[in-house]
Amino acid sequence: MSALEAGHVRPAARSGPRFGTGLLVQTGVLLALFALWEASTRLGLAHPFLLPPLSDVLVRLYQDAIGGAVFVDLGLTLYRALTGFLIAAALGIPLGILMARTKFFGWFFEPLISIGFPMPKVAFVPIFILWFDIYDTSKIIMVVFSCFFPIVMATHAGTKNVDKWPLWSARALGTKESRLLWEVILPLASPQILTGLQIALPVGMITTVVTEMLMGGRGVGGAMIQAGRFADSVGVFAGIIEIALLGMLVIRGLELIRARLLIWHPEARH
Amino acid sequence: MSEFGIKVEGVSHSYAGRSGASTVALKETNLEIARNEFHALLGPSGCGKSTLLYLIGGFIPVQKGAIRTPAGVVSAPGPDRGIVFQNFALFPWKTVLENVVYGLRKQGRSKPEAEERARHYIKMVQLAGFENHFPSQLSGGMQQRAAIARTLAVDPDILLMDEPFGALDAQTRRVMQEELRSIWRNSPKTVVFVTHDVHEAVFLADRISIMSARPGRIEHLVETELGMERDDGVIASKRYVELCERIWALVREQAISASRGEH
Repeated sequence: MSALEAGHVRPAARSGPRFGTGLLVQTGVLLALFALWEASTRLGLAHPFLLPPLSDVLVRLYQDAIGGAVFVDLGLTLYRALTGFLIAAALGIPLGILMARTKFFGWFFEPLISIGFPMPKVAFVPIFILWFDIYDTSKIIMVVFSCFFPIVMATHAGTKNVDKWPLWSARALGTKESRLLWEVILPLASPQILTGLQIALPVGMITTVVTEMLMGGRGVGGAMIQAGRFADSVGVFAGIIEIALLGMLVIRGLELIRARLLIWHPEARH
Repeated sequence: MSEFGIKVEGVSHSYAGRSGASTVALKETNLEIARNEFHALLGPSGCGKSTLLYLIGGFIPVQKGAIRTPAGVVSAPGPDRGIVFQNFALFPWKTVLENVVYGLRKQGRSKPEAEERARHYIKMVQLAGFENHFPSQLSGGMQQRAAIARTLAVDPDILLMDEPFGALDAQTRRVMQEELRSIWRNSPKTVVFVTHDVHEAVFLADRISIMSARPGRIEHLVETELGMERDDGVIASKRYVELCERIWALVREQAISASRGEH
């Protein structure tokens, strides 16, 4: 009786405090890091120009927020990252499916994708500046370019290796071949496609900021380079914190979308 | 045997191997199954019993010979032949109800009609109350019940079962066997049941085809003659025990030659 009870009770008892403790420890680590940062600058261990005190950075963040200018930069960065990401998804998912379903597309694109995937996309910035100038178009195309490969790879792998048994079941239940893709293959591949999107999104955020830094203009990356040029190290650190927060929010958002879409998946239950 | 359920006529099948050499899975196989017969295909692994089932299902193309059902010559899967797989093969993103409704909607039924019928079959396989659960929330036995409900709901003439209880624990397995037999008695269908479990075949089937090892062929055909009612009494009967022993001896012979052939 005790064994049965223990087996039944333990998971519930474990998951409660564990989650709380985890959050507590994570917050603690961050707070300790911030305290260390603040203390090292206050105690003169680090030069305030090289590492400005956290409190100064926070004050700057507050001032920027009040002024509203920061939201223009954040908004522009977010707009470029998400637009590029969505265009990459709109191109990459269909191509991945085509490659998995049509031999010709597979043969044609597989070598291109394998070369393109590990290639550093930032190397194309000079070319893209020549081709598309330095404004939004060029930045967004850079983001599309860097997000595209992980999305194609994941979609290709996901739709190619679909479990044949649910497919056979669907056919036996009267599903037409032309409907199999929509009704069975895509839902089955959706976890892997979402994983591809989740890999691509941070890549897109990074590419946006780097491209903004290289091409200049407004946006968080551009603002940071500007601050650097004016020897405003507080401004650079404020930019780092802004982009970290924005990235965290966007990625968390996609995680929530995944959890919502994959409510049926075993991963939804721990 | 005036009305036939399935006719397998001179069917051979070989798979292309990696090195270009082909493996013969089935050789000149002939089998006639009567309408509404419960037929078991029994044999060691690799004897081609699943291949034969998939050929009847239309999932793999017939290379040589022909397979006929009352609906015509088999060339592709169709709703006249329902199938239940060992690994359940439910649609994981659909709830139990949605899984069962799926095939009914394909038959052109309206949504309310499909749902009503689906609920009836879900109840029949004792899953009432789990309509809105996803497969990942169910045990293996419950998933297989859902898969059986999904297949039975579209009312196929022929029910193909590919080691359907192979992934279940012994207790669940027994319960499912009894339930399957009683479901079949209440609404008779032609059943082809693939298994490598001698007891399961004897307990369930009217006739058993014992298949030989590679190349697969039907070596023996045994009528169980255990009557319609199958319960604990049958399992305790002398006829059942003797049949199991006799069939086990036949299967063992094939299994031994199969294992020799492979090494």
